[in-house]
Amino acid sequence: MVKSVIPAGLKSMKKNDLKLLAVLLGLALAAFVGMSLYARFTTKEPQAVVLLDGKERGRYSLSEETVVEIRQEDGSYNILQIRDGKAEITEASCPDKICVNHRPVRGQGESLVCLPNRLVVEIENGEDLGIDAGTR
Amino acid sequence: MRDGEISFPYPLLYLRELRCRRMKKICRAGILVAVVIVFAGLVCMQYRDQNPQRYEGQFFDCFDTVTMITGYADSQQDFSEKLELLQAKLVYYHQLYDIYHTYDGVNNLKTINDNAGVEAVKVDAEIFDLLKFGKEMYDKTEGRLHIAYGSVLSLWHEYREEGLRNPLQAKLPPQAELEARAAHIDIEKVILDEQSSTVYLADAQMSLDVGSIGKGYAVQKLAAYAREIGLKHALISVGGNVCAVGERADGTPWRVGIENPTLDSEKPYLAAVGLSDGCLVTSGDYQRYYEVDGERYCHIIDPETNMPPQYFASVSVQAEDSGVADALSTSLFNMEYAQGVSLVDNMEGVEAMWVGKDGEIRYSSGFKVYEEK
Repeated sequence: MVKSVIPAGLKSMKKNDLKLLAVLLGLALAAFVGMSLYARFTTKEPQAVVLLDGKERGRYSLSEETVVEIRQEDGSYNILQIRDGKAEITEASCPDKICVNHRPVRGQGESLVCLPNRLVVEIENGEDLGIDAGTR
Repeated sequence: MRDGEISFPYPLLYLRELRCRRMKKICRAGILVAVVIVFAGLVCMQYRDQNPQRYEGQFFDCFDTVTMITGYADSQQDFSEKLELLQAKLVYYHQLYDIYHTYDGVNNLKTINDNAGVEAVKVDAEIFDLLKFGKEMYDKTEGRLHIAYGSVLSLWHEYREEGLRNPLQAKLPPQAELEARAAHIDIEKVILDEQSSTVYLADAQMSLDVGSIGKGYAVQKLAAYAREIGLKHALISVGGNVCAVGERADGTPWRVGIENPTLDSEKPYLAAVGLSDGCLVTSGDYQRYYEVDGERYCHIIDPETNMPPQYFASVSVQAEDSGVADALSTSLFNMEYAQGVSLVDNMEGVEAMWVGKDGEIRYSSGFKVYEEK
């Protein structure tokens, strides 16, 4: 119904109507483009997010080489190293060393876990490995 | 032509003009409607892209591991509230199935163990049902899944903890002591009384340890609870014990990777499985273990030999029920491939993937690796 009305209307319209139509369409388009661009620019570079007991304690870009010591009040610690776009724990005070033995991570959804120290390092905006969660 | 200007006295012209004006009104209304529809459509497209959003959350303190939950919610607050509810629920199960700690006002597995040879303990239905399920799985797996194996498991636990604290002094439990402990693992002496909802261990030196099924059983209950509180699409992972609630919001299955047991390999996952309302559990020797004289001894102990089994690096089981998947992954880890694959092929809706110590991968007949469509 809408389709059949528009062409007939266009012929017998006033200039102002056309202007209004153009402005509204322009606004809609601008809004759409704006939202898309916003979505694109808010997607950030890959980062390693350090969480202690579920709370964020820091985030580090995977593109900058760095070594971070995450020391807690009780003296326990983990050393996080970022190199070649990957994050890994190179040293830790925990007895089991599961976090140290874990391979470096870089992909979206991958994580390093140290249970004794209640530490999780999560990758955000990482390379898409097509995985939502891992089983181990 | 202006409004109010009437072409008089020509009735025909007037009529035509009237029709023309009406047409214009309809046209204007039509254009307005069209613009509104286009506008609304564009807004809707954006809205659909962003809502509901995908969130992730995590918490500790349950089953000695970290729980990670991925789900879709209307807002961060909405998701956080749901996450808190889920945490409270899992803490409840953790306390019930805990064999190391006592909690006020809760009769848990430790209460039952402490009263071995003394008296029957009245328990919550959630404990009773778990133990009943454990006994069923004992029969199905010919004793490879053994909930009354606590006396032997606790000895290994002590030696492992000590070995991790002092790696240079790490020792294996003495064979004689293992055998002495293994004299107190008769599952028939776990006496369940349905009528009174009580559990009695008829051997003072025996104890329950549900490490191989408790977590899986609890995760299944947690998934049901997630649906109850309105999480229609979620992925729950309690220490890699993964359970899917529905599929992803886009209607495709959740993709769950099976981790590569070779930790120094570049490849993080060996395969991916698509889950819609199903579970995937892996038992492996590469995460929890200790070393004695350079040899690795993992946390899973085979009731046949009282030693860590040497068959595989990991076994993953896919099943509808997380309790079944958990129980079977431990059992399959404890038996040869031929025996395991026949067990799996005889169970409906259960599939498995075995990874050998040499990296060789084998599958049950219906195992499906997820492929992007």
